[in-house]
Amino acid sequence: MNQTPRTINRILLALFGLILMAAGAFTAALAVPAVARWWEAASVEAGRAIGHLLDATTLEGQRDSWLWLVLALLMVLTVILMITWIANQGKGRSGVLAHDGGAHHSGGRDDDGTHAGSPGNGTAAGDVTINSAVAEQALKAALAERVDLVNSSVSTWEFKGQPALKIRVFPRQGVAPYVVAEEVSALVQALDVTLGTQTPVLISISSGARTRFTRAERVR
Amino acid sequence: MKEETSRLTSQAVRREMHSSRAVPSVIAAVLVILLCLYVMLEAALKALGQDPWLIGPEGLASWIGSLPGGIEPALLGAAGALLFIVGLIFFLAAVLPGRRARLSIPNGRAAVVVDAEVLASSLARRARVAAGVTPEQVLVTIGRRLVDVQVRPTSGIPLDEQAVQAAVEDELRRTAVDPVPEVRVAVAPSGVIGQ
Repeated sequence: MNQTPRTINRILLALFGLILMAAGAFTAALAVPAVARWWEAASVEAGRAIGHLLDATTLEGQRDSWLWLVLALLMVLTVILMITWIANQGKGRSGVLAHDGGAHHSGGRDDDGTHAGSPGNGTAAGDVTINSAVAEQALKAALAERVDLVNSSVSTWEFKGQPALKIRVFPRQGVAPYVVAEEVSALVQALDVTLGTQTPVLISISSGARTRFTRAERVR
Repeated sequence: MKEETSRLTSQAVRREMHSSRAVPSVIAAVLVILLCLYVMLEAALKALGQDPWLIGPEGLASWIGSLPGGIEPALLGAAGALLFIVGLIFFLAAVLPGRRARLSIPNGRAAVVVDAEVLASSLARRARVAAGVTPEQVLVTIGRRLVDVQVRPTSGIPLDEQAVQAAVEDELRRTAVDPVPEVRVAVAPSGVIGQ
């Protein structure tokens, strides 16, 4: 439900893994005498090429090449990119459950009273924003009364540009998940009627440490 | 349910059934950051004409160039293999499908995903009631295509295997897990005493 960049995760992880695998394979291959002899010759060649490059990029009157500064800057850039990557994991919490306004004023549905007879049709001037806390607290209060759940959490996420609700419930051991799913989705439908909007909802029935160590069943 | 909501709901189900790989990503990013910070420090020292902190670029380059000079081949091979395995773990985390131990239940309004553990404990409860044994005597394992129910009967009390099978199948049918897994009930040959 969150905006974790899953494709980027896969690509970068595969790249990171491949680089490590190549370095490992190379290190292991150096244990073979034939490869070690080849490397002896190749490294001298490579060292000479790098030396030429460093000489060519050394400004007059300077002791060292300016490539070192470029390298340091590149490293700073990489660190910034990596921090951005970390910061994007699990992003996407939202504080708005529904927003209604603006769109209705275009396309001929003006505030000229054409829909005056049907209130709630979005014809009134002004915006309506429903805060996510409304749904979260209503559902959490309803779920807290249930004895077959150890715990529950409700959060709002921005999913594909739209607000969506994530309801996470932790049933006691042995509680049938289909019963929980049906009853929670009935709560969601009641919420739909109350709010007058329909958002995508994810009901995640999970087990946690608390479900494992609490008593299995209770009289319902 | 509105069409757009149902489309987003089915996307959410697919997303929840697979791992996001956030943990290996963060580990990889932290490793890269540490390496980059060190290289940056050494490069900056070199650019400023200072002495290197641990090993300067030239020192490192000549050490890599002189490999495997003086290092035992077995040690070199082991270090390489270790590095390769760590790389392989990251690579496989990226390439494998990353399916989580979860199942989805069809629902008219919402996307519903259930941890396999939750379903297993509800199946175990039904099996236990049908067999008339204590919770410790039933073990349920849920695979992708197979539900494995292991029951240890109480010594001296016969156990109706068919009833257990029927109860577990009935619970699975009510849960409407798709695809329906096969149920296999295994009754242990030896019973437990004093339950």
